Amino acid sequence: MDKRDYFIVFLSQFDLTSSKIAQIIDEMSEPSIQAFKKTKFDEKIIKQESYHKMLECADPILVETYVKNLHDRDIEIVTIFDERYPQKLREMTDSPYILYYKGDLSLANKPSLSVVGSRKPTSYGKIATEKIVRDVASGGVVVVSGLAYGVDSIAHRAALDNGGKTIAVLGSGFDHVYPSEHQSLADEIAKKGLLISEQRPKRTASKYLFPLRNRIIAALSEGTLITEASIKSGTIHTKDFALDYGRNIYAVPGNIDSTSSELTNEVIKTGQAQCVTCGKDILDDYDIKAENKQRGQEHLSEDERKIVSLLEDGMKSIDFLTKNSQLDINNFNTCLTMLEIRGIITRLPGGSVALN
Amino acid sequence: MLSKVQSFGLKGIEGFPIDVETDVSNGLPGFDVVGLADTAIKEAKERVKNAIRNSAFTYPIKKITINLAPADVKKEGSLYDLAMAVAILSCDEELKIKNERKYVYIGELSFDGSVKKVKGVLPLLISAREAGFKEFLIPKENLAEASFIEGINVYGVENLREAISFLKGEHQIDPVEVCKFENTLNQNRYGLDFANVKGQKMAKRALEIAAAGGHNLIMIGPPGSGKSMLAKCFPTILSDLTFDEALEVTKIHSVAGELDGEKGIVNCRPFRSPHHTATTVALTGGGNNAKPGEISLADHGVLFLDEFPEYSRQSIEVLRQPLEDGIITVARNKSTVSYPANFTLIASMNPCPCGHYGSKDRECHCSAGQISKYLSKLSGPIMDRIDIHIEVENVTYDQLKSDSLEEPSCEIKKRVDRARLIQLERFKGAKNFSNAKMSVAQTKKYCKLDINSEHLLRVAFEKLKLSARAHDRILKVARTIADLEGCENIGANHIAEAISYRTLDRKYWN
Repeated sequence: MDKRDYFIVFLSQFDLTSSKIAQIIDEMSEPSIQAFKKTKFDEKIIKQESYHKMLECADPILVETYVKNLHDRDIEIVTIFDERYPQKLREMTDSPYILYYKGDLSLANKPSLSVVGSRKPTSYGKIATEKIVRDVASGGVVVVSGLAYGVDSIAHRAALDNGGKTIAVLGSGFDHVYPSEHQSLADEIAKKGLLISEQRPKRTASKYLFPLRNRIIAALSEGTLITEASIKSGTIHTKDFALDYGRNIYAVPGNIDSTSSELTNEVIKTGQAQCVTCGKDILDDYDIKAENKQRGQEHLSEDERKIVSLLEDGMKSIDFLTKNSQLDINNFNTCLTMLEIRGIITRLPGGSVALN
Repeated sequence: MLSKVQSFGLKGIEGFPIDVETDVSNGLPGFDVVGLADTAIKEAKERVKNAIRNSAFTYPIKKITINLAPADVKKEGSLYDLAMAVAILSCDEELKIKNERKYVYIGELSFDGSVKKVKGVLPLLISAREAGFKEFLIPKENLAEASFIEGINVYGVENLREAISFLKGEHQIDPVEVCKFENTLNQNRYGLDFANVKGQKMAKRALEIAAAGGHNLIMIGPPGSGKSMLAKCFPTILSDLTFDEALEVTKIHSVAGELDGEKGIVNCRPFRSPHHTATTVALTGGGNNAKPGEISLADHGVLFLDEFPEYSRQSIEVLRQPLEDGIITVARNKSTVSYPANFTLIASMNPCPCGHYGSKDRECHCSAGQISKYLSKLSGPIMDRIDIHIEVENVTYDQLKSDSLEEPSCEIKKRVDRARLIQLERFKGAKNFSNAKMSVAQTKKYCKLDINSEHLLRVAFEKLKLSARAHDRILKVARTIADLEGCENIGANHIAEAISYRTLDRKYWN
């Protein structure tokens, strides 16, 4: 790390926005702590009072210990002046000056797909997300998302479970993973993938940080997939950012009467997004050859085949299946668990079952 | 002039002998009761006085003092009225009452002299029999519950006059005939049947397993999906109460004053469903006199908690110890009492506050945070004690109207009874009688898995992301499933089925 990096680390401790940091650097001869101390700033850029406070911390040794302490906690730092800084983020108009990360930074330069959507997907949204992410991730595409409830965590999970790579971009600092329930998921991603935040670790989550995070999610991938989102969803920000940065947008169509699919249908209708129905659609767009996976080769018992054949035309309720498969209920339950363990079916909240 | 007669007091569900000693002497006319009596007993003075007068006996214009011995134990209730009246009248030499000491007297008096029914007669009689008492004079209305106890003579009286002429030998009363408990078990005592529940095969099967192994169960489903109906039918497939169990249940119900006077004994498994606004004390028992609560009234039966997460946190948490030990100790300032609380917990809940999360035809309006908060009300320790989770779906109109024949409760009950017998054999000499209550050591001993099943369980844990606490639960439920089939060993199919009843452990909830 050179003095420019340390300067950015120093600035990042004061929760400044990217544009503010840009303004400060513009005023200075060179970005460094020494130069900062000497520069006289306009009141509009930094208030006199804040400037004096900042000067108290403007000590290269303090900053260096700070970086070292973070390093001891496996938190690494990369700034925009660093060569390792993800290329795709440089293409943004307001690139983050600093990224805190845990895990493998090289993932950020690999072909990737951002998967975003509702925090509370319906069963359909869940199946769609899992299905597409599974195919895309096994095709070697890195799955980027925001670790939130719903589509985000489903996407991360599906990528990890299928041996794919995933990047989670946090809105808050690493010490305050939001939602806190996803702490273990975050830890797993840090180990097997990459965890990124623009904010210093101690920064707590707040409302306005999430759109900032969404811009990174949009910029970090060549394409953004919306699996299910209503028109009021925050996903709309991610979509707008992605359009701004000239990224592709993919959307999964939904029923026309489903409010949960309003946004996806809207972007398809207006031509902002490409309509996708399977992972192959995206892989084709990425020029990656999809793995040829065929169902039906697996050995199924007769009873199991009965259940699978009933599911072939879509999601079914358990009551429907027990009635139409004519199986004894104990045998039926056994088959259901076996099929689920083998990854052939998924059980969904509300007592429904669907083929994978 | 001194007289002494025998009565019985009640502490919790155990009775203890009380001597009613009466002294009628010359002096300023008055009536005093000593011996730590409560208000109901102090007020007995007026009842006893008026009952005696209105039965056309002479009330002595003398100083009357009654001592309830032992004098250091608190006594409550109106059940000593009859004993007091007999004691006072036996001081009247003109009446010539003989052998008044032969009987134990229990009963409340009314102003017109009639003897009214009291709470807790069954536990009193049982304790009294154990203490060696043989002859009892009790209210006629309480005879039904007394009729199940063998080896004693119980006489029912309607009014004080009848009681006195019986004691004088002028009037003959036959002791109550002993009823056979088994005779009361014939008819369907519940008025409900699984044959009337359409569809819901998965839920019915889960309830069958719960009944067979004594497992606690939780149902998750949207409003109107028939959760309460299923729960209410649950007692119809439980094996019949044994006589000892019935006595225990009747004792508790008798103490709580909830006994059906005509039946006399509780011959069907109790089904209690307290509302979710019930206080902790209403559930556990308590109050000044440490009365039994809902969980004790559900002893040997079912405690159904509808809308489980709506109960206060505290009310849910107090269930922990009784669920484990089958007993609850209620300590209050007047007494400390242990009540049995061996119940099967059936809980039901919606998947989210609005009730429609995961539903196919209704949209859920709850935020992700609301849902996770709702589910988080079920604390780990409580979920640890619930073996079976199932989802219940909305019933469609077609299903409702279908003529398809559903299996009646009596058929299911036969299978449950068989599985129960296997367990009784297995746990001979042990403290528990059901698979659900197996200790860690017993689980190890009786739930051995072969390589296939072991492998299946391991894979299931990884693939389905079951939580660690699911492990033992799955083994116990698998044991019950195997018992229902009459299998000696647990097979892979039993494990697989058991896994399908662990919905809430799965991570798909958000």
